[in-house]
Amino acid sequence: MQVLDRPLVVSGELAWLGGDTLERHVQKPHAETARITGGKVYQQREGKAERSFSLERAPQLKVLVDSFVALLGGDASRLRRAFAIARRGDGHGAWSLTLTPRDLAVARTVASIRIDGENGQARCMWMQEADGDVAIDLLGGLAAKMPAAPTREALAALCKGG
Amino acid sequence: MRGSSGTPGHVRVAMLAVAWLLALALLGLWVVQRLHVSTDLRSFMPAPTTPDQRLLMEQVGEGPGSRLLLLAIAGADEASLARLSQDLAARLKPDARYTQVLNGSFDLTALDAKLLPYRYLLSPTLDTHTLDAPFLREELEQRLDDLSSPAASLLKDLLPRDPTLEVLKLAQRWAPANAPELREGVWFSPQGEALLLVQTAAVGFDPDAQRAAIDGIEAALRALPGGRVVRLTVSGPGYFSVVASTQTRQQADWIGRISTIGFIALLLLAYRSVSSLLLAALPVASGALAGIAALTLLYPQVHGITLAFGFTLLGVAQEYPIRVLSHRRAGEDAVASVRDLWPLLLTAIASACIAYLAFYASGVNGLKQLAVFTIVGLLAAGFSTRYLLPQLLPARVRDVAALPWLVRLRTAVDALPRPRWIPWLVAALVVGMLGLSRGPFWQNDLAALTPLPTDLLQRDARLRAALGAPDVRYLLTLEAATPDAVLALSERLQPKADRLIAQHAVDAIELPSRYLPSVATQRARQQKLPDRATLEHALAQATEGLPFRSGLFAPFVTDVETARTLPPLTPKAFAASPLGQRLAAMLIQRDGRWLGLGTVSGVHDAAALAALAQGSGGAVSVLDLKEAAESLVVAYRTRILQALLAAAALLVLTIGLALRSLRRAWHVLAPMTLATFLVLAVERVAGVEVSLFHLVALILAAGLGLHYALFFERDTGDAAEQRRTLHATLVCVLSALLVFGMLAWATIPVLRAIGLTVSLGVAFHFCLSILMAPHAPADDAAEK
Repeated sequence: MQVLDRPLVVSGELAWLGGDTLERHVQKPHAETARITGGKVYQQREGKAERSFSLERAPQLKVLVDSFVALLGGDASRLRRAFAIARRGDGHGAWSLTLTPRDLAVARTVASIRIDGENGQARCMWMQEADGDVAIDLLGGLAAKMPAAPTREALAALCKGG
Repeated sequence: MRGSSGTPGHVRVAMLAVAWLLALALLGLWVVQRLHVSTDLRSFMPAPTTPDQRLLMEQVGEGPGSRLLLLAIAGADEASLARLSQDLAARLKPDARYTQVLNGSFDLTALDAKLLPYRYLLSPTLDTHTLDAPFLREELEQRLDDLSSPAASLLKDLLPRDPTLEVLKLAQRWAPANAPELREGVWFSPQGEALLLVQTAAVGFDPDAQRAAIDGIEAALRALPGGRVVRLTVSGPGYFSVVASTQTRQQADWIGRISTIGFIALLLLAYRSVSSLLLAALPVASGALAGIAALTLLYPQVHGITLAFGFTLLGVAQEYPIRVLSHRRAGEDAVASVRDLWPLLLTAIASACIAYLAFYASGVNGLKQLAVFTIVGLLAAGFSTRYLLPQLLPARVRDVAALPWLVRLRTAVDALPRPRWIPWLVAALVVGMLGLSRGPFWQNDLAALTPLPTDLLQRDARLRAALGAPDVRYLLTLEAATPDAVLALSERLQPKADRLIAQHAVDAIELPSRYLPSVATQRARQQKLPDRATLEHALAQATEGLPFRSGLFAPFVTDVETARTLPPLTPKAFAASPLGQRLAAMLIQRDGRWLGLGTVSGVHDAAALAALAQGSGGAVSVLDLKEAAESLVVAYRTRILQALLAAAALLVLTIGLALRSLRRAWHVLAPMTLATFLVLAVERVAGVEVSLFHLVALILAAGLGLHYALFFERDTGDAAEQRRTLHATLVCVLSALLVFGMLAWATIPVLRAIGLTVSLGVAFHFCLSILMAPHAPADDAAEK
């Protein structure tokens, strides 16, 4: 992130609860649960009252929900409605899927989403924000390999696999 | 002196007619140039007598609550409605006709960019904290959490300039207390309409300016893509004043047109003479013009309702030429027959004027105007009927006394049994019906006086609840010597107000200090701001070990430095920004003192709210606008009833003196009184609550009934004259039923109440004055 001089590391679980509901449990650095459902985001931090705001105010979350729900639900037509899709494979089982938001308002905040995977397994999710910030999610077993002080290059290497 | 003989007479008649018409035309021209019609509904509310009541009347028209327009857009999918809401708000914001446009979208522009450094003086943060290292550290750690949370994108741009998020704190502080649900980023009602709140620059009861404001909103919406297919619902006091003035004008127009056509047809049928008809219109026209001219001279503005009601009430004056036309005998000169009729006609005019005087005593500006208009109008119509009309009437007439149907009808009427117990039976009926009736007798609700259909009021209540817009019923007033003292008082009141909200006594209270703290508070906060070196040092300590880029917070340091030397923000300087306009509407100057107005929403415990004023030494008061208005109505009704009693006593005296016989006065006054109470009893049994307008209508009907009774009582011992009386009264009753029967069809509750009451009254007065009139032959025998 531009406002920071080193990456912010967060670990936890992201769960799809069916429909348009996503839940994000964070264990580190602070326990926090965020639930995205019905167009709203509910945020519950330890020892604090629940906050909520509209999904409209956080475009990258809307994109996250759209892409996740469509991906996990296998809803290809929904995915194609929300994004322009580009797929690349290296022929050895590694692949990457780049999703570019079709909605211009969304694209002003989120430039693209890239999902790297190998065979049937998604490994990483990259969210490229329009201001240059990148959020990288290491998925599944890869999450345990998150370095303490990661760099963009180190994570890219991790995602490529090997 | 006879206008019927020879050419000189004809010339004289023609000259008189031309002179009369010319005088009317000149008067009309003068009136058209000078007349200012006002549509301010408040002039039909009781005149305020105490300072609180004065404030009430001002607030009803000019307070912040009365300038609010509630908008709902429906008829498309949620996303399109939300986009329309955003685009509409963007178009209305720069428009000078609107001081505030809210649609729920998160809006940092509410605080002017130039005023941005003032956030440290406006936000309460510094009351409890200082910008030292521990506080900054805590805040920055929270920001780091925020960056890792789903809310990151909301604050990334804000962070360098405002790491403690004062702008967000202010935005939260200034957002409406009970905002509606946010969908697609804007307010939505449970029914799926996009909601907006617009505060107009124009006062609520300026229907022309409000119409311009509402038309501006409509035009802005329709010009947007997709804005043509959606449904726009507008509500609020300003909209109501537009509806009321339009409705009054439209209904008065169409009722007037139909009544006029019916009236012309009736007179043509009755007198079979076009010239008589045209001439008979002159006294009423003279009366109307004289009435308006008197109003124009006495009042700077004449209320539209006064004119609408006034023309209706002046319908009584149609009786004068009708009496003259019906009572003309074959071969007799018009001047002579008027001379015979004049004493009775004068009694009728005098008694109607006395009854209308009661309006003047009401103390309500609109009703006072009504009294001036009708009394001047009646006198002008009466005297022109006596002195001008007969000179112009054609010499040859059809004597109605010879009409066969009238002879038969008169015989039938004379043959009616007139038992002496009829008055007692009617009196018993009245008492019985009044005893049987349910529900409150009096209608004290001011809303019942406001000519608005209930579905509009219900729609307003629904939108108001959905938007959490302030109740128009309760108002907090804070009085002090200067605007700043008002703000200081408001700050002292805030903790008490917060307790009330916590106790759920009320949903929200909005005080002026919510938008701007007092100068003392701003100075105290300013004192706590660290200088550049101290802040930079604290910031360096606070960011130690945190991943924020170095130099990131330079804009923050600059803003704090600026804020240290700012002159405190005053309401006057603040007024340049949209929020300052909001504040300006809450501060009003009055007799060299300043009043702050607090609005209240969702009152659950009125007693707890009233307790807020205790211990303030009179500086703070809670105004229950509804209660104040109702107490005004009660006081006003008491005055009307007292005036009526005095008018009744005067009436008895006038009739007694004019007829020189108590017995004859009884024959005139008893049917009138009984019929009046009979109307009251019938309406009560039908579940009608009696409002001031019913009282006004009863007085009018009594005035008409008095005419019927006076003429029926007149005993000339001449059967032909009796037939003429019956003819004249029939024409009068039918024309009154025509005019007021039409009013009963109006959708404006007030017009309907008047129409029904007068129609019923005319029917009862007619029947009772026939049944209780002295039985000519029998009574003659008894008297001799």
